[in-house]
Amino acid sequence: MRERFDRQLELLHVELIKMGSLCEQAISLSCQALREGQTENTRKVFAIEDELDKKEREVENLCMGLFLKQQPVAKDLRIISAAMKLISDMERIGDQAADIMELAPYIAGGESKSKIHISEMADAASRMVTESVEAFVKSDLSLAHRVMEADDLVDGLFLKIKDELTELIRVRDLEAGTALDLFMAAKYFERIGDHAVNIAEWVEFSITGVYKGQEL
Amino acid sequence: MTKRILRSMLLVSAIVLALGFAMTLGILYQYFSGELEQELKQEAEYLSAAVEGQGPDYLEELTDTEGRITLIDSDGKVLFDNTADKEKMENHKDREEFKEALSNGIGQAERVSKTLSEKTVYYARRLPNQQVLRVSTTHYTVLALVSGLIQPICYVILAMLILAGVFAYRLSKRIVDPINQLDLETPENNKAYDEIAPLLSKISSQQKEIRRQLSVAKRQQEEFTIITENMQEGLLVIDTHTSVLSLNSSALRFFGTVENPGRESVYALNRSGSFQKLIEACLSGHHSTAELQLTGRNCQLIANPVLRGGVVQGAVILMVDITEKIQRENLRREFTANVSHELKTPLTSISGFAEIIRDGYVKPEDVKKFAGNIFRESQRLITLVGDIIKISQLDEGSVPYQKENTDLYNVVKEVYTSLEGAAEASGIRLYLEGGHQKVMTVKPILTEILYNLCDNAIKYNRQGGTVTVTLGSGEDGAARIDIADTGIGIAEEEQQRVFERFYRVDKSHSKEIGGTGLGLSIVKHGAAYLGMEVKLCSVPGEGTVVTLEL
Repeated sequence: MRERFDRQLELLHVELIKMGSLCEQAISLSCQALREGQTENTRKVFAIEDELDKKEREVENLCMGLFLKQQPVAKDLRIISAAMKLISDMERIGDQAADIMELAPYIAGGESKSKIHISEMADAASRMVTESVEAFVKSDLSLAHRVMEADDLVDGLFLKIKDELTELIRVRDLEAGTALDLFMAAKYFERIGDHAVNIAEWVEFSITGVYKGQEL
Repeated sequence: MTKRILRSMLLVSAIVLALGFAMTLGILYQYFSGELEQELKQEAEYLSAAVEGQGPDYLEELTDTEGRITLIDSDGKVLFDNTADKEKMENHKDREEFKEALSNGIGQAERVSKTLSEKTVYYARRLPNQQVLRVSTTHYTVLALVSGLIQPICYVILAMLILAGVFAYRLSKRIVDPINQLDLETPENNKAYDEIAPLLSKISSQQKEIRRQLSVAKRQQEEFTIITENMQEGLLVIDTHTSVLSLNSSALRFFGTVENPGRESVYALNRSGSFQKLIEACLSGHHSTAELQLTGRNCQLIANPVLRGGVVQGAVILMVDITEKIQRENLRREFTANVSHELKTPLTSISGFAEIIRDGYVKPEDVKKFAGNIFRESQRLITLVGDIIKISQLDEGSVPYQKENTDLYNVVKEVYTSLEGAAEASGIRLYLEGGHQKVMTVKPILTEILYNLCDNAIKYNRQGGTVTVTLGSGEDGAARIDIADTGIGIAEEEQQRVFERFYRVDKSHSKEIGGTGLGLSIVKHGAAYLGMEVKLCSVPGEGTVVTLEL
């Protein structure tokens, strides 16, 4: 019985790693598209997003099955409940990567992106996702904390981009539509950063049982 | 075992005890009832004798008799009874003992009372007057005897059993003790019981077998570990659930981790899309390969499914570092591109000049100049092809020359002679230091090497510089040639690459300096062929020293 349970926990772990990997792929493709202006990977990103949706349901079912049939306690319970939360964040990251991909062709054309810090922001958000997934895979608490700290950087970049865009619109150096697209992309990156932090927080919870500084 | 022995002993003692009691009781009872009967008989005989002599009245006078005495008439009517009223007694003619006595003279019978607790034994004797004298006595039956004695018997049995228990316990302990104290590490040294000797020898031989098998298994494990740990290639074994079963330190190095992940999923080591695809393909039973970027190295992964009875049981993944191979491939590709380019340039010129001449666009007085161009380009092409042939000969080691005793001084002299013109043109002075020194070597190749080195030393020199060749001997007494110039030098990051084919520090492939870009490559290959070591020491702007050690 326990052996079967362990197998299923292992399966859950593997599925989560795969989802994390998909997230990383989606965001790195989106960032690439934004940076290089090429859009041939659009379909790939949408396929990844679909895959993430599908995987989310699968993992959800797996978790539900484990809850009902095995009645997990202690660390197992923490891992499974953290997994339930992790997958929705991962799925959202996939959605937002796809959203950025949709915006990419409108932004990529002009030189506008060189004027603001959108590339830095893309890198920072992408790195946060990679590190949060890495923290989950390796159960690395210090890496999870680093991800939480990195969120300030992304938030700071978002505010900076906002100011830069305001200035560009004011001096009429940038078409308002493009500015809005850029602003949307920045917002998506900022949200992706938040989701990465969520993942890191659930990783912390699954290791220590402490969520946002509170024992659950 | 102790318990079992104890129980058996107790059971045996209980059975023996019970049987003993029962038999004793039976024998005694038998004996006593026999005695009783005898007494009864004698009493009846005395009485009958007395009655015969003195008449029935004798019975009346008898007072202190234990038993009961009855005189019965021949028709069964009771004439006398010493315990009951004769008038009230019924007719005795149907009584067994009476009938028997009438017919045989003697009659006997036993009757058990209704409560089964008493038994009356009758003895009847026929008197000569046809009357029957019956004597009877009553005593307890076995049952009554037993029921009366049951309590003391139980006490005795209990006491006996307790005693037996104590002894049985001690005895069984003593029997089992040697077995408990068996030394199973060295079973053959025990001298407990002969009965368990075969068992002990069996254990001993099995222990030896186990020890042997363990050492074999251990040795195999060690061999496996030694082999896998000393492999440059990474080895990874996983099961169908992608859990890592075994991996060597090279594999860990490839994945960029230090600690062994234990039985974790292999995806925890790497989760890139292509890696997942490789693992999935392999676990679905297909041999597959993939190239991955792992910790900055190009790595080729070869995954083989492990099949048992047609079912995939896992996968073995071999990881090979192909960074150098890819670099070499790039070099080769570059070489091919360079060769084509280098060959094409003079050919294009030649073809161009020839075309112009053919079409008659050239004035007759200019034909000579054009022919000169064609000749120069052809010469260049020939040099180039010659160089390529030299290199490929050195590459394959198929040099058509023999080793001979060569004087280094003369060789350098020859080289200087042939380069004199070029040196003079750039105002470079050539020096040669050291004396005559003879070495067994392939002279044409050595000449070629020195020619190329000196040629470079002149070409990449500054106006009015010097080239100095010093002949000497190294620390171990081997011949040593230093070619020093005062030229432009080679930057440190270029020093390794200048020996590559067609590599030029000046990327423009300038024709000013000329050359094919193969010179130093020929030096390198030639030196390797002759077993010489080439060292390059250069300071940009000051000059270069190339050292050859034979």
